[in-house]
Amino acid sequence: MARLRLVGLHKYYGKVHAVRGIDLDIPEGEFTVVVGPSGCGKSTLLRIVAGLEDADRGTIEIDGVRINDVRPRDRNVAMVFQSYALYPYLTVFENIAFGLRARRVKRSEIDAAVRGAAKTLGISALLERYPRELSGGQRQRVAIGRAIVRDARLFLFDEPLSNLDAQLRDEMRTEIKRLHQRLGKTMIYVTHDQIEAMTLADRIVLLQDGVIEQQGAPLDLFERPATRFVAGFLGSPAINFIPADLVSEGGAVSLRLKDGRRLDLPPARTASLAAWIGKPTILGIRPEHMALDRGGSARPGFVVQEVVIDLVQPTGSRLYGTFMLGGQEVVAELGAHDVSRPGERVDLLFDMNRAILIDPETERVL
Amino acid sequence: MMAAYLSAWHAPRRRTLRLMARYAAAIVVTVVFLFPVYWLFMIAFKTPEEIFHSPPVWYPARIQFANFAVLFKDGDAVTVGNSLFIAGCSTLISMFIGTLGAYSLARFKTGGENLAVWIISQRMIPPIAIVFPLFLLYVWLGWVDTYYGMILLYTAFNLPYVIWMMRGYIEDVPIDLEQSALVDGCTRWQVLLRVVFPMVRTGLFATAVFTFVFAWNDFIFALVMTRSAVTTYPVQVTHYFGAQSNFWAKIAAMSMLGTLPVLLAVAALQKYLVRGISLGAVKG
Amino acid sequence: MTVRVTASGASLGAQLSEFSDRRFKYLVIAPAILIILLIGLFPLIYTLLVSVQNINMTEEDTSFHGVVQYLALFRDTRLWLALLHTLIIAAAALPAELFLGMLMALLFLERLPGRQIFVALLVLPIMIAPVVAGATWRLLFDHRYGPINQILGWLAGEPVLILWTINPRFVYPAILLAEVWQWTPFMFLLQLAALLNIDQSLTESAEIDGASYWMVFRRIMLPAIWPVLMIAVLIRGLDLFRLFDVVWALTQGGPGTMTETISIYTYDQGFRQFETSYTAAIAFLVIVLLSLVVVAALRRMEIDR
Repeated sequence: MARLRLVGLHKYYGKVHAVRGIDLDIPEGEFTVVVGPSGCGKSTLLRIVAGLEDADRGTIEIDGVRINDVRPRDRNVAMVFQSYALYPYLTVFENIAFGLRARRVKRSEIDAAVRGAAKTLGISALLERYPRELSGGQRQRVAIGRAIVRDARLFLFDEPLSNLDAQLRDEMRTEIKRLHQRLGKTMIYVTHDQIEAMTLADRIVLLQDGVIEQQGAPLDLFERPATRFVAGFLGSPAINFIPADLVSEGGAVSLRLKDGRRLDLPPARTASLAAWIGKPTILGIRPEHMALDRGGSARPGFVVQEVVIDLVQPTGSRLYGTFMLGGQEVVAELGAHDVSRPGERVDLLFDMNRAILIDPETERVL
Repeated sequence: MMAAYLSAWHAPRRRTLRLMARYAAAIVVTVVFLFPVYWLFMIAFKTPEEIFHSPPVWYPARIQFANFAVLFKDGDAVTVGNSLFIAGCSTLISMFIGTLGAYSLARFKTGGENLAVWIISQRMIPPIAIVFPLFLLYVWLGWVDTYYGMILLYTAFNLPYVIWMMRGYIEDVPIDLEQSALVDGCTRWQVLLRVVFPMVRTGLFATAVFTFVFAWNDFIFALVMTRSAVTTYPVQVTHYFGAQSNFWAKIAAMSMLGTLPVLLAVAALQKYLVRGISLGAVKG
Repeated sequence: MTVRVTASGASLGAQLSEFSDRRFKYLVIAPAILIILLIGLFPLIYTLLVSVQNINMTEEDTSFHGVVQYLALFRDTRLWLALLHTLIIAAAALPAELFLGMLMALLFLERLPGRQIFVALLVLPIMIAPVVAGATWRLLFDHRYGPINQILGWLAGEPVLILWTINPRFVYPAILLAEVWQWTPFMFLLQLAALLNIDQSLTESAEIDGASYWMVFRRIMLPAIWPVLMIAVLIRGLDLFRLFDVVWALTQGGPGTMTETISIYTYDQGFRQFETSYTAAIAFLVIVLLSLVVVAALRRMEIDR
């Protein structure tokens, strides 16, 4: 188990500033997911921690010791690669044992360790096979086996599940989560998939263009995003963004959309927004925060709007309905039977308590 | 091909030291390998006194082209022209016919594996084994010491190589383009000439270079099959060897004349070098 | 290969297109096969024919003489010596080229700015006509005007006057030097390209796991380039077997017949002694020998594809 600290990390590839001043403090035993769109610098960051790349500026510390100049093999970290990086000419057993053999561990110990790791991952039957005979999921397990057998203090995962199909991905994700629970090691996991991020992380670090947009517990980022990017990145289907002006009429503060509609905001929020009245904003509301109005008394903070559902996409248990609102295409997540056919006119409830408002210029959440 | 590699092996400060050491080694190795070439080329520019000087002179006092002038005056330089013509023609012909054959092998698997193996095995026959009967054949046909005789010879000898290489290049091209053209109504010939040839352009150039170089550098066929009318440059060089002494200036100048075109061709296409040399074993 | 779907009652149009496809594939490869046959098959048959006759400088006896030429083969010490010479050169040059080439490949493997230029320069020796290469080394080895003796003289401290191309003790080193010089870059290029093709994450993973350079080389790099090495050995081995140009330029097989390779010997028999039938027998022997080796090796290659 190890505590990782990155201070002021910078990395240039020629003119490209791939990592811009990253500060990160990861306590022992935490599962951190570094997530972001391609090119955001997450893989670079991981490789710097592993020692495969040098940082141009800044320090990397493990357990308080600066390791910038330490060779990868002496850092006592284990890494699982996206392509699994299995040695094609060695059996599964030899693959897993590779690191131990390199460190001249005794044969009997190697044997026990390898078989133990294989048992944990359910691949004991495959030990004599060669990588080319294995399926994608099996190879991934071998790669993970190779990492855990070394009992390293820090585990690094570089998009390990991207090469697997959807069903396998779900399976392996669960395995990895279970693995972390069992081993309790500090793990850093890089991915572009926000579902993996949400389900696996103790802490999410969201990266864009080499900078940390926000970090924290998954629910924190989901419910209290700091910027438009964070709000838009997490959540599936993605959050809806609708430009609107913040206006005040009578004592009520509301949002006036481009098509003239007005959505009232609950009084609890109006106080903090006083300074923004009269200015344009962007409304962010998640598809799951809309529902079919079944009548009954309106709860505070909920407004009703009548919309025409143009497009219907059923998923089985739920249904995505697309409609126009405020000049934008908006998606709502509804019950499977809430809408019978496209073109239907329905009343939708909007939960304005959970909606967020974004400053169009700074893209920060108000 | 030129990717970063193995850079993580040592701590950063050690890396620069290591880099400098490797640079030094690289320079030494390159100098050692280029030295003979340098020597040869340099002799071409030396005066007779400088050439026959003991201890040897390492660089000429002045660059002078007298040795080259002699070659042109005596008409020996025409052998380079002969080489150019023969190698060029045979390359063009073998490239065209060979690519056609390669297409048949690649897309239709004509003749199966046996044919493919037989074809490439032709490339590996030692010239010495066939040059003799071919010589007799040529004598009978009256083709000795003729341009077309040599062109046919090199074409035939290069065909297996061309077919083998172009098959590889064609197989690398996805078949969708050809099928799409067929659906659009092209005939097979049109598909071959209008779709396939352009797609394997780079393969064509790369293979053509090697085909050309082989014909250009060949010695034994030229030695046997030519006399005085169609001398090629490698044979001409050996004419300058004497029992007592050698016409070194001429050897050097002629060698240089003969080597430069090849160097240019290779320099232009060095990206494809590896694939061409290794018979496609390494895609480089 | 036709895109039209042919139902069981295939239309005339579909039938025609299938037919023309078949015609096409044969037509297109026909010119190539014809030419190769002419130059490849004819000599083979002719050689066989001639080798069972008795044609030489004096006689032109085309009657069937059975295997008399082949029997003579076995008694001809000069022939077997020539084969021996060829084998010696091959056995010495191949490992040298392979090993040196590997060292060079490893040197250039890690990141090196300007590597492209180095490689382009190092490839030069391969591109020179072997005859010219031989001539070049002949110049270098000249006992009075060549730099080799001069450099050796510097190292030895006294003038060195080795007659590289005549002195029996130095002829083989001279030939080997020229040959290895010219073709080590070939091995270097091939191995470098093959090594660069190795998936980088394999070596990175090994590095993180703690493997030493030697371990990575032995367990990861070597197995990965093994097929390429085999092909390189095959190509160079065959080239070395038919070695002619370089030796011709350096020593012409001399002194005497000391450095005579099988190719040079065959040439001598055919074009100097005009022992037509005997030459044919030698040629046939060579063809048969090599064909076996080549076809066996090629089948392996095709299988690996």
